[in-house]
Amino acid sequence: MLVARQLTKSFGQVEALREVSLSLAPGEIRGICGENGAGKSTLMKLLMGIIRPDGGTIEIDGQAQTIDSPQRAQQLGLAMVAQELSLAPHLSVLDNIWLGNRAVPLFHRRDKFRQRASEALRLLNVDYDLDRPVRTLTMGERQLVEIARLLVRDARILILDEPTATLSDVEIERILSALRALKAKGSSIFYVTHRLGEVFSVCDSVTVLRNGAHVATRPVSDIGRHDLIELMLGRSFEQMYPPPEPHKSTPQSLTVSNLHIPGAVFNFSVVAPRGEITCIAGQVGAGAVSVIRSLAGLVPEATGTIVLDGTMLPMGSVAKRVRRNVAFVSEDRGRDGLFRRNVLENVTAARLPEFTRAGLLSWAKLRHFGTEICRRVMLDTARLETSAFNLSGGNQQKLLFARAFGGKGPGVILINEPTRGVDVGARAEIYRLLREFCQMGYVLLMTSSDLEEVIGISDTVVTMYRGKAVNRYERSRIDMAAILADITHPTGVSRMAS
Amino acid sequence: MTTMRGIVLAALLVWAVLTPSFLSMPSLTALLTTASVIGCMAAGMTFITIGGNVMSFALGATAAASAFLFTALLNASGFAAAFAGSLVFGGLVTGIQGLVIGSLRANPIIISIAANILIYGAASWLTGNETIYAASTGTSQLLGGTIGGVPIEFLIFLAIITLGQTILSFTVFGRNLLLIGSGWTTAEATGLPIARTVFLSYVWAGVFAAISGVLLAIRYNQGNMALAVQYDYDAIAAVLVGGTPIQGGDGSMIRTLVGVLAISVIQVVLLLHGFEEEWRHLVTGLLVLLVVILYSGQRI
Amino acid sequence: MLSIVSSPSIRPYLLLAIVILLLAAVDFGHGRFLSLGTAYSALQSFSTFGLVALGLGLVMLIGEFDLSVAGVFGLAGCIALLTGPDHFWVGMLCAVGTGAAFGFGQGLLIVLLDLGSVPITLGGLLTATGIAYVITHNRAISSDNLDLAMTLNDPVVGLFSLRSLVALGIFVVAAAIFATTRLGRDLIATGSDRKAAIIAGVSVKKLLLGAFAFSGFMAAMGGAMLSYGLASATPSGLADVLVPAAAAAILGGVSLAGGSGTPLGIVAGILTLTVLRSGLNAVAAPPFAHDLATGLILFAVAVFDAPYLWRRWAALHIHFVYYQDK
Repeated sequence: MLVARQLTKSFGQVEALREVSLSLAPGEIRGICGENGAGKSTLMKLLMGIIRPDGGTIEIDGQAQTIDSPQRAQQLGLAMVAQELSLAPHLSVLDNIWLGNRAVPLFHRRDKFRQRASEALRLLNVDYDLDRPVRTLTMGERQLVEIARLLVRDARILILDEPTATLSDVEIERILSALRALKAKGSSIFYVTHRLGEVFSVCDSVTVLRNGAHVATRPVSDIGRHDLIELMLGRSFEQMYPPPEPHKSTPQSLTVSNLHIPGAVFNFSVVAPRGEITCIAGQVGAGAVSVIRSLAGLVPEATGTIVLDGTMLPMGSVAKRVRRNVAFVSEDRGRDGLFRRNVLENVTAARLPEFTRAGLLSWAKLRHFGTEICRRVMLDTARLETSAFNLSGGNQQKLLFARAFGGKGPGVILINEPTRGVDVGARAEIYRLLREFCQMGYVLLMTSSDLEEVIGISDTVVTMYRGKAVNRYERSRIDMAAILADITHPTGVSRMAS
Repeated sequence: MTTMRGIVLAALLVWAVLTPSFLSMPSLTALLTTASVIGCMAAGMTFITIGGNVMSFALGATAAASAFLFTALLNASGFAAAFAGSLVFGGLVTGIQGLVIGSLRANPIIISIAANILIYGAASWLTGNETIYAASTGTSQLLGGTIGGVPIEFLIFLAIITLGQTILSFTVFGRNLLLIGSGWTTAEATGLPIARTVFLSYVWAGVFAAISGVLLAIRYNQGNMALAVQYDYDAIAAVLVGGTPIQGGDGSMIRTLVGVLAISVIQVVLLLHGFEEEWRHLVTGLLVLLVVILYSGQRI
Repeated sequence: MLSIVSSPSIRPYLLLAIVILLLAAVDFGHGRFLSLGTAYSALQSFSTFGLVALGLGLVMLIGEFDLSVAGVFGLAGCIALLTGPDHFWVGMLCAVGTGAAFGFGQGLLIVLLDLGSVPITLGGLLTATGIAYVITHNRAISSDNLDLAMTLNDPVVGLFSLRSLVALGIFVVAAAIFATTRLGRDLIATGSDRKAAIIAGVSVKKLLLGAFAFSGFMAAMGGAMLSYGLASATPSGLADVLVPAAAAAILGGVSLAGGSGTPLGIVAGILTLTVLRSGLNAVAAPPFAHDLATGLILFAVAVFDAPYLWRRWAALHIHFVYYQDK
């Protein structure tokens, strides 16, 4: 039905997809698996015409096709639920379900559209008021509206890019059964997911991507859970992650208690000792990212108590954190990690007042300091004057860590996704850097949606599900299966709560 | 981009010098005095643009009101008080806008439009739309003169540019302003003092606009609210033509100086070539469009 | 209560009602404000910049801005009187054609080069004004066709004029199209979340082009009609239309962030301003009263819509209430 050959796509210096070929048969549900940054979403966006490939061809029903826009993709019978929701918050549920649908005529207020929308929602076993603005729905509810939009598209090829990230098991099962019904009617489906359980419960076959390349495609009946994980990782643990070295144990730490963010995080507490890497593990939407952001002072509605080395750190003020040497590494470098200025200005941004004399900046001192810290994070000092946006993902990430150097005494680094969009080589360097910070006595508190990374780098793991802490694992007790169970299907009484 | 800018400027200069009578005194002097008034306002506008707040529609009104205030104070209590008073006025009126924009992230364009209406409204309330004439001209007339053939107004403009560039290059405030303009959310996550910096950038913009108002008052020996109408547009045109991108986060006072001079030179050359005043508007407009389009290719 | 005031679908009408009530209260017993004359003059100024506000409002609805409306407004007035001093339809056609083409050209630059609309339309504003200066040789032009001017402005049933009827008619059509067709929905989606709209399959580029062409068209229509109504045009004299048009759109519930606003809301926004103007005139308030009132309302709306207002409020609330309780 669909055949893609040699699809290639680069973003700047990052090769996101390298000569990936795959095909899909009528009535087939194909799982697409891979780590973060493996190229899954890029591949799906290419098929949907949201981005254009640098090379390669796509055939549908034996005809070569150029898919240059989502409208063209729709014409060819494709429909997609993107990873980031594509609903217009100001529009109603009804309008969002039909938004962009080619079947809708110019005068679109017709009863049959209301009926079909209701039917689609009923199939998902939900009953939203069709005239309610989408902005009043929760993320999970929105995800179901998005699926309803997919259902009314009458598409032959459906793409679902991690559609279940914020949903409960019951809701997920409803979506899966809706997909099975579509399959029975002859639709083919690409199903991108992190949850291996879903692969085995709904998919006929699975394609594994790694670092932008196709690794393998197998029928689900021929492959076990363990094989699949092995295919996804494809490298040994030990090379990647430096072992923790013994450090002076100090009583000092970053202690967070009763952190509360309305609607997102509930009564969360964590202790992150100096010289160790503490990791909050949770799925997208579980609240781990919000915990780090609120500790960084970026969530005004957050309440709770933060104590650093015995002294209170007030909520909310970023400037006060900078003075206590608390640095934040964002999960989205383009949005709130980098300035569109050169490397030197980026690494020194928070410390300018330290380099003034009589109110005027000393550029010589500033450059000296910038060179010094760039060297420490292994960033090419010849590129001090290069715009930060022209660096590779790995170098950009190192730049964010460089900001944490300096100041009086060891500080705190709050990290969301330490290696997102970073190639394998630079990843190993960043992990080494994290250990170096530990040696210097920094507190490292991080989140990651990459489970393998969580297990490889952490000294302590706190699992999180739907805004609440589930369990806490010390180094020797860190175990992939237990953590995975915690963050997807928490069962039994939480050991932390007691 | 830098080389291209250089080539364009060189070509412009050659064209100007080859134009008969360009180098003769009267046209040059006229050029420099006109450039100075717009230039001071453009220097103020540069702060706003660099900080990521696009432009202000209220600087022209602020300059006119400052000219009025300057003349009134000059008649009442002498030059020093008049000068200081109008600068404080400009900084205050514009600073209030900066306060709302910096701390609440109110839309800078709407705020400046509202301020524009309010300033004209308040001025017509307080002055009854009258023109006030300078009674004695002593010190202030001195500023209308020349030193070695160069108008003093232009020297003041150069001083403003130097001051502005020093602020941008060598103070924490200036560097923070560039950083904030280049990434608001990043600045927030890094803990830069956004509200204070944006507020200060507007204060400076207001002070510089007030200086251009004072220059106007000195040149015409009067103050009235019709003096600086539409100067906002000339000022932002100069900033953009000089090469400061409207997205903010980059730019300099030197570029604004170049922009002001380039537009003025073109204007004089066009006049000397027999094109009437009206062509200046068209050429300026096209130039701004061209610069904006050229910059699209080099989004960093 | 606050949610009603901050809701863009109610606030415009609320503001209009407040303005009318206040003016009526001030004028109580004099009968100057609630008169046919005041309504007529409010509608006259409605027709002057209402059309501009409609075009600009639409562009703002999709999350862009069009500074060039002021330039196109003035330019169209000049073109109308130059091309058709005695032939209304010829002049109108040339004027609105130019306006639409100018807007379309700007839209094309914005779409093709992926540029911000503020810099492009700023260039467009200066260019349009420049063209107006050049074609008029920097002089005011006037037409001898005073009959036409009279016809356009003569009161119809005491309240309307041909000009204001045309403007109202356009608004009725726009509101109907907006409410009943896919177009309105797609415009809101584009302004609400552009990336989402693209992924959903909305032709965002076509909408952008259309919105800018429409904005140019509307500005040109307003400018040309005014010039015929006054029987004169100047290249610079009409440039102060941007401020009231933007103010009207914002008071009408169009948010600068995009995604909210309707033609009917814009009508309420314009009427708020024009009723204020005519009403203050009627009650013999000094001329600056209108400026001060408009400026203050606009300032208040901008502060009220500021994205960090509630954030600062929440921070203060947590600081003083939450932690004091502990």
